[in-house]
Amino acid sequence: MNTVKQSHSSPTDELDDSQKPHAPKSTSAWTWLNFLGDVSQSEVDVLLLSTAFKFLLFPAYRSTDFEVHRNWLAITHSLPISQWYYDTTSEWTLDYPPFFAYFESLMSIPASFIDPKIVDLQNLQYDAWTVIAYQRLTVIISELVLGAALLRFIRVSVDPSRQRILSVSLFLHPGFLMIDHIHFQYNGFMFGILLWSILMACEGRKLASGILFAVLLNFKHIYMYLAPAYFIYLLRSYCMSPAGAIIPTRFISLANSVLLVFLASLGPFVLMGQLPQLLSRLFPFTRGLNHAYWAPNAWALVTAADRVLLQLVKHLDVGLVVNESGIASTSRGLVGDTVFAVIPNIKPIHTFIITIIFQMVYLIKLWSAPTYKSFVAALTLCGYASYMFGWHVHEKAILLVLVPLTLLASENYAYYKTFVIASVAGIFSLFPLIFTPAETLLKIVYSVIWGAMILYPLHKQLYEFPSSLPWVLLESFENAYLYGFAFLQAFVTLFPLMTGGNPDTEFLPLMATSVYCAMGLIWSFIRLSTLYIIEQY
Amino acid sequence: MDEASDVMPSELPVERRQRHTRDRTASLNSLSHFKSASSKHIRPRSTLRNRGSNASMKSVGSDTDHSEIISPIPRRHLLQTSQSLHWLRVDTSSGDEWLNRGVSPVSASSVGSVFPNNRMANRLSFTALMEHERTAVGPSSTADARILEDDQGTIGAGRRFVRWMHRNNMKNWVVPSAIVASTLVKWCIGFGTYSGHNTPPIFGDYEAQRHWMELTVHLPVREWYTYDLQYWGLDYPPLTAYVSWLCGRIGSLIEPSWFTLQASRGLETGGSKLFMRATVVIFDLLLYIPALYTFVCAWQGTRSCRKRHAALLTLLFHPALLLIDFGHFQYNSVMLGLTLLAINAFAAGHDLLGAIFFVLSLGFKQMALYYAPAVGSYLIGKCIYLGPVHGTRLFLRLALTTTLAFVIMFAPFLPPFSPLSTIAAPIIRIFPFGRGLFEDKVANFWCFTNVLVKWKRIFASREGILIKASTGLTALGFLPAVAALIFGGYKTRLRKGAQNHSVDVSPSMAPASPSSPTPILPLLPYALLTCSMSFFLFSFQVHEKTILIPLLPLTLLLSGAALTDDVFLWGALGNNVGVFSMWPLLKKDGLGLQYLAMLILWNRLIGYNPFKLRYGHFVGLLSSVVHTVIIILHLLELAVTPPARYPDLFPVLNVLICTPIFGLIWLWSIKRSVEVSWAISGLPGKREKEPSSTVSAISTTSSSATFGQSPMRGEMGVRATSLGYASGRGRGQADARRRALVTSAGGDREH
Repeated sequence: MNTVKQSHSSPTDELDDSQKPHAPKSTSAWTWLNFLGDVSQSEVDVLLLSTAFKFLLFPAYRSTDFEVHRNWLAITHSLPISQWYYDTTSEWTLDYPPFFAYFESLMSIPASFIDPKIVDLQNLQYDAWTVIAYQRLTVIISELVLGAALLRFIRVSVDPSRQRILSVSLFLHPGFLMIDHIHFQYNGFMFGILLWSILMACEGRKLASGILFAVLLNFKHIYMYLAPAYFIYLLRSYCMSPAGAIIPTRFISLANSVLLVFLASLGPFVLMGQLPQLLSRLFPFTRGLNHAYWAPNAWALVTAADRVLLQLVKHLDVGLVVNESGIASTSRGLVGDTVFAVIPNIKPIHTFIITIIFQMVYLIKLWSAPTYKSFVAALTLCGYASYMFGWHVHEKAILLVLVPLTLLASENYAYYKTFVIASVAGIFSLFPLIFTPAETLLKIVYSVIWGAMILYPLHKQLYEFPSSLPWVLLESFENAYLYGFAFLQAFVTLFPLMTGGNPDTEFLPLMATSVYCAMGLIWSFIRLSTLYIIEQY
Repeated sequence: MDEASDVMPSELPVERRQRHTRDRTASLNSLSHFKSASSKHIRPRSTLRNRGSNASMKSVGSDTDHSEIISPIPRRHLLQTSQSLHWLRVDTSSGDEWLNRGVSPVSASSVGSVFPNNRMANRLSFTALMEHERTAVGPSSTADARILEDDQGTIGAGRRFVRWMHRNNMKNWVVPSAIVASTLVKWCIGFGTYSGHNTPPIFGDYEAQRHWMELTVHLPVREWYTYDLQYWGLDYPPLTAYVSWLCGRIGSLIEPSWFTLQASRGLETGGSKLFMRATVVIFDLLLYIPALYTFVCAWQGTRSCRKRHAALLTLLFHPALLLIDFGHFQYNSVMLGLTLLAINAFAAGHDLLGAIFFVLSLGFKQMALYYAPAVGSYLIGKCIYLGPVHGTRLFLRLALTTTLAFVIMFAPFLPPFSPLSTIAAPIIRIFPFGRGLFEDKVANFWCFTNVLVKWKRIFASREGILIKASTGLTALGFLPAVAALIFGGYKTRLRKGAQNHSVDVSPSMAPASPSSPTPILPLLPYALLTCSMSFFLFSFQVHEKTILIPLLPLTLLLSGAALTDDVFLWGALGNNVGVFSMWPLLKKDGLGLQYLAMLILWNRLIGYNPFKLRYGHFVGLLSSVVHTVIIILHLLELAVTPPARYPDLFPVLNVLICTPIFGLIWLWSIKRSVEVSWAISGLPGKREKEPSSTVSAISTTSSSATFGQSPMRGEMGVRATSLGYASGRGRGQADARRRALVTSAGGDREH
């Protein structure tokens, strides 16, 4: 296929039925959705078909997060608010900010009608059909927030056909499918709020954007990774005139609104004097550098290098001092402190400083160019830097990068390629979350279909032929890297079969996944940083 | 799709009077001539009719220059071939696939068949001609309406997906991605529970299948049908046993404990579940999906690529089958796939191959017998159609092949390998007449009437009468289909005189070979539907799952129908009600959620909205009412516990709703059979008068210049399909009354 030629094909070819001159008509049954603009039939298709598919996943594997959330339903329903952050009946204590607790409290009301045992605090590990159906259903329903935001993105976009593909790609993202609908969390809902907030920024309603982000922070504090970008952007473009003078009314209204949000969230606990307890629940600084399975970031590479060096030191008998406790550490899949054997140990403060330094670079750029596009890129990069260098990063946090990055994917081919590498590596890095054999097939096949349906049309529209030999080489390296994932998957699948589950080598597939994904994610991080820094806004 | 399209345009203007050998190219040539001639005829006629004039067909025809070549017309696919709705005054204006598409040689020759020797190219339907007429009248009106309708979302999600894929240059990826997606959905249905999940001591169908694998692996063949019959004794024909043996063998290689004799009973470990689920998916991929794909190619080869892809999507996500095979756990897709391959082979003219496939299907599950009358009478009809010499030859071949296939299948139970008495065991197990008229609540005639007439009590000591009654009613039920096929074969049979004549005219005009399709082929799906539905409604020992068997031909018909066709409405209604009729079973299996999900998914995919009111459409109104009732019933079941006196209240209500619908579908199918056979073979009462004056029949090989002078009767079934044209021309001598009859009814073949 002549892809170059295709890239020049007229955009009108790509218009879906809702953009035809006669078109945008929704059937009467869906007119209630009209606050989102006209909902076209194909959008309803995506919603209905994906919902039907998600129904089929109800009986699938679910992680302990399912019980965590059930327990929170019970806590928020059966205990007074003063006890929420003190309860230790289950080991899965409440460690999300208060808005999420309120949200759980709200959901526990219908739950108590459906099956009172769901909200029984002592009823640990309850896994009746009612609780599964109810909790899974709440995920699907709350995800509509995401769907609505994505629809609005299509409506306000200058190029709806591309934005449509991107929106669908986010709504059907394998990351959401794996984490929310199999593993069990409410990321769809959370990212829905985030996208609403970004959408408000896109539409120029920056106050609303700030308020929504404050709300989001009080749902789940992991979004603090993105807060610096929000702070700078709102300060520079909302609270200050282009010349650089502060506009006091705006500043005060923004500050007051955010403060109000935090008051609504934390107020009761401040009044009860529980703030320290709450914060200790939210920020447990007792964990190690890496998670059990190393999230594929910079530290994964460092840790892997340490392992390799350790073997070298052992075998070559170089006179290096080896940290004895480090030999037993890492790679065993234990949650706890990671202790390096060869390389000097990393402290939380180091990761913090490195993260801040990287973020500063982007924020300076954002300060000088406070446009929407620049904001989204800086937002992505802030999340990315935190993911790359953060302390005890969980692999699920990659969604913090992939979701805003998707909004940039259709900018041009360079952004698109960055998006592809990050998405493929990021989604693959989520695979170890789902390890049961039946769901393994599901996650692979689903991701491949998603990739083919989303990436191919975008590739066709955005492809640019590399201009010189280095770029050609780079392009082929990147493609080789992407094809490598097929071999990696084959290795991960076949290795345990061949070694017969030997515990000494059990960690190898996970380590290989982590290291290989980390290479891609770091490369994509470098690409995106460069693109952002050199781009003129 | 088209190797044909390469050939056609270049060879269009070739021949005059000389006849080519009957290879593919030649037949395409002749076809295009035939079409060009007919289109030329129809165009002026329609304009005349538009003006309200009752112009004689003959005068118009004679004005036309036959040698002029006009671009060919696309043809309808087989399932629609005989939809002569025009003369039944049923509006099909929105069902035309090419009204908003340019008529091009490519679309005309899109006979994308997987069978190398496809003669479908020779067939041009009456409806196709009529539709072309409408196209000629003015695309401005109908086509615009069509486009508008499209945008208002009257097409299904499947169609929209296909369109999007085609526009994004991913045309070649539609079929693979549809297959992968459907397999994914099937796999995900398998996450749910299955029949007999965690219900010792007897478990359910899942355990039965697993037990068969266990016993076939460990026991010698002659004990298969006699081993511990109380615990899921094998009661399917030998092919199931062989397949079970194969699965058991492979499974034992992976993990021997899954299939140890006795010890593995009721085994439900994660690994064995995964293995069992995987076997179903793999057999589905190996047999059923290729069968669907070849079906779409063989039977709908003349449709546009998009339509075919959408049809494939419709078939791939068939909810009833998916729920039973991948949820409840059975291997129906193997049996249905083999039957489907058989009818595909029939469509391609490979009757012997088709017969073998059908025997295999019977050998996998005896339920394929529900199709047997239709298949058998189709083959007999074909023998009759071929005439005494070739017909007898084909008949003998078929008989020999079929017998041989059966013997080979039962070989391990027959003398050289085991004593003759061994054969009794499988036969007795396969046909369980000792189990009573019906067991559970099934939506068939007996269970339905049992609400009023307690059959079992009345005939408590005389079960024999009931058996006879059910057999008789069943036979009566499928008689129309059988009669239509055989009668159709008889009416369209090749005549000796005509054949001789044709041989005189052109030596290359060899008599139709047995491998060419018959004109009665379009009757086959309706006959399958009638027969299987009649079995379902009236026969003995029917299970609710058996509704899958009538649903297959119904869905095949639906996949080929436009969204506003009666066929589509009946098909969608039948499928939804069919799934609903299995609700008590699915509920017991814990598959309620999958039931809901599949119904949403499939209905959205095909674009069926039962609650859209269609006034003046009996079936449209009916489906609105029925679906409303079904939803109310579901809500009631959620809210109300049935009174202690009637614990079976909801299953009985289910039967009361479903049975009439199935009965109506059965009647509708008979009605359609009659219509189609009428279209094929003319009015039953008409006798032919003089064979020599059958000018109307158009030969596929006659060039347009010699049009009408070489009555190639019965050649390749063209006669039947050219009726529309035939009835419209060359009949100037006939009296006005007859002409009026012909133009209005159109189906008259003899004159």
